[in-house]
Amino acid sequence: MTEGLQFYEKWREAIIQCSRCGFCRAVCPIFDVSKRDLANARGKMILLKEAMEGKLSVTDGVAQALMRCTTCMNCTVNCPSGAEPDKVIKAARKEMVTIGYDNLFKAMSEGVEKYGNIYGEEQRHEWGHKKGKAPYVLFAGCVGAYREEESVAETIRLLDLLGVDFTTIDEVCCSGVLEDVGYKVKEALAQHNVREIRKTGANAMIITCPYCYRVFIEHPSYKDLGLEVKHITQFLAEVPLQVKTDKRVTYHDPCDLGRHSGIYEEPREIIRKIAPTFVEPERTRENAMCCGSGGGFRGTFPKDSLKIARNRLDRIIEETGAEILLTECPSCLHNFRNAKLRRQKIEIYNITEFIAQLYEEGASQEKQAAEG
Amino acid sequence: MEIEGYEFPEGLFYEENHFWARVEGDLVVMGMNDYAQKMAGDIVYVGLPPEGKKLTQGKSFTKLESGKWLGKIFAVVSGELVEVNEELEENTQLINEDPYGKGWMFKIKPDTMDELKNLMTDAGEIHEWLKKEIAEHGGK
Repeated sequence: MTEGLQFYEKWREAIIQCSRCGFCRAVCPIFDVSKRDLANARGKMILLKEAMEGKLSVTDGVAQALMRCTTCMNCTVNCPSGAEPDKVIKAARKEMVTIGYDNLFKAMSEGVEKYGNIYGEEQRHEWGHKKGKAPYVLFAGCVGAYREEESVAETIRLLDLLGVDFTTIDEVCCSGVLEDVGYKVKEALAQHNVREIRKTGANAMIITCPYCYRVFIEHPSYKDLGLEVKHITQFLAEVPLQVKTDKRVTYHDPCDLGRHSGIYEEPREIIRKIAPTFVEPERTRENAMCCGSGGGFRGTFPKDSLKIARNRLDRIIEETGAEILLTECPSCLHNFRNAKLRRQKIEIYNITEFIAQLYEEGASQEKQAAEG
Repeated sequence: MEIEGYEFPEGLFYEENHFWARVEGDLVVMGMNDYAQKMAGDIVYVGLPPEGKKLTQGKSFTKLESGKWLGKIFAVVSGELVEVNEELEENTQLINEDPYGKGWMFKIKPDTMDELKNLMTDAGEIHEWLKKEIAEHGGK
């Protein structure tokens, strides 16, 4: 296991393409809190070049270093050489696994196969929504179903309030995350999801998790679904909303929704409808800093992941003075909620969850007015 | 006292969801037991609800999370949450390092101290219960 990495030509060229300028340091969420060169893309590109040329032994340390990336893609967007470090790092992780350097996601990969979710949980939360035929099918994803189930419950309540005729399914993990951490999509799970989705007869799929959205859009296992795939912000941007808030609201772009999927405008269209006092953080859209949860980073380095989330949250509060932070990603939501300190008064929601609550407040006020 | 390789200090009350209770004046202090913290591994998050929250014995009222596991925290007695260990916001490892000391979690003003009678204090009873838990969930 000590031979140099045998990258495909494409990735070898990408590594050489990196000019070592270090611009990526300014946008790397891990470098931002650690100030360690190996944490950012330039450090990893140097490491890989040395390993590729056989000047550096490939060790567990190299494998560990490669896991220190949230795959947020901020380095790629800001790379003047066009080196695409996020893709190189993902390819290098696969290479490391291929030559025998398993990481902790080997166990997760086995757990996903056995339990159908990334947490190895035996029981899935059921929201009690119908399962059957409907024009729309809703897909929640693992983080929503096992870590932020109350938020998903609110999303479901909102869709019901808006009169959307949708069904849920006996979904299992889309398993796309395995591709980021050195392993592969589980074909049996993908085919289970495809079968369940087709059974509904739906014309369109609404996905709450931006990562699952990407997998359904990008991965060949899901290419023959035969229906339109929409992230929930794309769906909701076209729906009239009857509620408003006068609270100061800001928005965090999830990396998987923004940089990876190019969906920047739809969440903002929704927020502008409900929050006239919407204010952007300084680092926003394609320059938004990552919350620290992606690319297997939360699973591998949970404390560092929360440190990144705290760093992002501190800056958002400082820059915007917002009372409400909205996002639309269960992983970002979970990391920010875990990172928030009690003295920080900001409230954190998914957009859909927040709107559901505004409807509830409105209904409650109407009831009080009618009674009083 | 050490039971099956885990610390269970005498004088504390233990409940079946793996939380302990200690009387401190007219309050009840609670935290996580040694077996549970070892099984969970490095705790990275503990939800600290606002003071004033009403708690019911045996009912979950917040969550905690390690790198690999998400668990619920159950009230050891019914009453009002009067204090949380804010140190745990940024130093969750205190639960792993000192589960019965600096890793305490909450202080509760109990509705009645009588509910402590529902918890385990007898070493033999704790031992039998823990053996069953280890048989079902494993040990470290």
